[in-house]
Amino acid sequence: MTRHPEEKGTALPPGAGNRIVAGGFRGTWADVSRAALPVVAAALVEDQLTAAGAAWEHAVSLRETLIVGAGRVSEDQAQELRDDGFALVRGEKIEPASHPRAAEAGRLWLLTSGSTGRPKRVGHTLQSLTTVAADQPPRRWLCPYSPGTYAWWQVVTLSLAHPGQDVIFVEAAQLDNWPELALAEGVTAASGTPTFWRQALWHSAETVAKLPLEQITLGGEPVDQVILDRLTTLFPSARVSWIYASSEAGASIAVHDGRAGFPASWLDRDVPGRPQLTVVDGELLIDSAWSANGFEGPLRTGDRAEIIDGRVYITGRIASDEINVGGSKASASAVRAVLLAHPAVMWAQVRGRRAPIVGNIVAADLVLEVPVSPQELTSWCSERLPDYSVPRRLRILDEIPIKETLKSDV
Amino acid sequence: MSTLSRNQIRTMMSQVLETQGKTIPTSDAALLSEIGFRSLDFSELALRVEDELGSELNFDAPGLRAIETVGDVLEFLEKLQST
Repeated sequence: MTRHPEEKGTALPPGAGNRIVAGGFRGTWADVSRAALPVVAAALVEDQLTAAGAAWEHAVSLRETLIVGAGRVSEDQAQELRDDGFALVRGEKIEPASHPRAAEAGRLWLLTSGSTGRPKRVGHTLQSLTTVAADQPPRRWLCPYSPGTYAWWQVVTLSLAHPGQDVIFVEAAQLDNWPELALAEGVTAASGTPTFWRQALWHSAETVAKLPLEQITLGGEPVDQVILDRLTTLFPSARVSWIYASSEAGASIAVHDGRAGFPASWLDRDVPGRPQLTVVDGELLIDSAWSANGFEGPLRTGDRAEIIDGRVYITGRIASDEINVGGSKASASAVRAVLLAHPAVMWAQVRGRRAPIVGNIVAADLVLEVPVSPQELTSWCSERLPDYSVPRRLRILDEIPIKETLKSDV
Repeated sequence: MSTLSRNQIRTMMSQVLETQGKTIPTSDAALLSEIGFRSLDFSELALRVEDELGSELNFDAPGLRAIETVGDVLEFLEKLQST
């Protein structure tokens, strides 16, 4: 597998003139105040503008950088970073590294979300994070992602690498009202998780419908047909895409046909510049030129892949999908898919719950678009699932729970 | 800790069955096998009781195998609350 090109140094990025909006700032990348970063720095940022300043500083000078939302780093992890040679930068305050060292010039570090355990550091470069190569039509992108995450970098590198790609950053406090912000700023492209889109449609469907969206992107969670259909119906002229990406594997799959899953013909093929995708024992394996440093070669993703009628569906994490109900194996993702297919259900989360006699039963939390009785939902599931997979405890929530990562661990 | 009465547990058992389109018989002597009340239903009922009580029941207590009728279920869960 050919790796991405080496870092080129400190030439001004092609997108330097793109406009960005972050907090109260409006200007171009080149107008952003450069962060005063030591050459090996971990920027623990409180807001998007500070993060953008650190990203710009990294883009225009040779250095080693980690950008992360301050709330995602514990004091123990902060100390580990200092011990590993990073100076910690929190606003104006700089805490020097415990053991200063030379920079690995161009290295960008990401902290994984930690959904599989303790967050870990994953090494990239601006080049390995810049996965969109072709010229793009001019767009104003919404970036609701937490600073320094892989998805955040995808939007930032797109803007840095391609003229005409403006970015409207969404601060954490603005997340509930992002459709109003996007409308005011003339956003034409937006990227978010399925949970993010569901929450927006749940909260502000009328405002969302007014957005002049040309590009809608989903990723970060299993992408189901129901949410794709809702978005394509609302925005018939927009391109609706879903992306499979992770900090380790990089952006590996991009699907633009408005359908969940991807064609099975993409498996086991060797196309220059494209990741190699394989399914082994129901798990998706990826070999990508855009993978993180040290993760080259076929990478076990830990995500379940099911091939149905010539389409490969990525349904969720293998480790958390199986629920043992009295010796029978229920699939949380399969149950969730059935619940989401009910017209009254806007959002669903399915899990096992410890129970006497059978060990576990299937339980579900739901957000409803219109009222529906538990009997109706149970009947709906009973017609489509084996007995042991039918949710026995249904809890109706008032709001779609969403984390800083824009996910809800479904 | 508060406990649920036999009637309250009966109402919950009725709800478990109603969700599946079934009706609980008036007689406590009705056989579980005849009304289609299975181990999954029993587990669901136990969780409903636990949720109502706000605490877990101790199912290590003996006697589970002897449960054959509606009355057996009610009696078992009634007793279990006091163990």
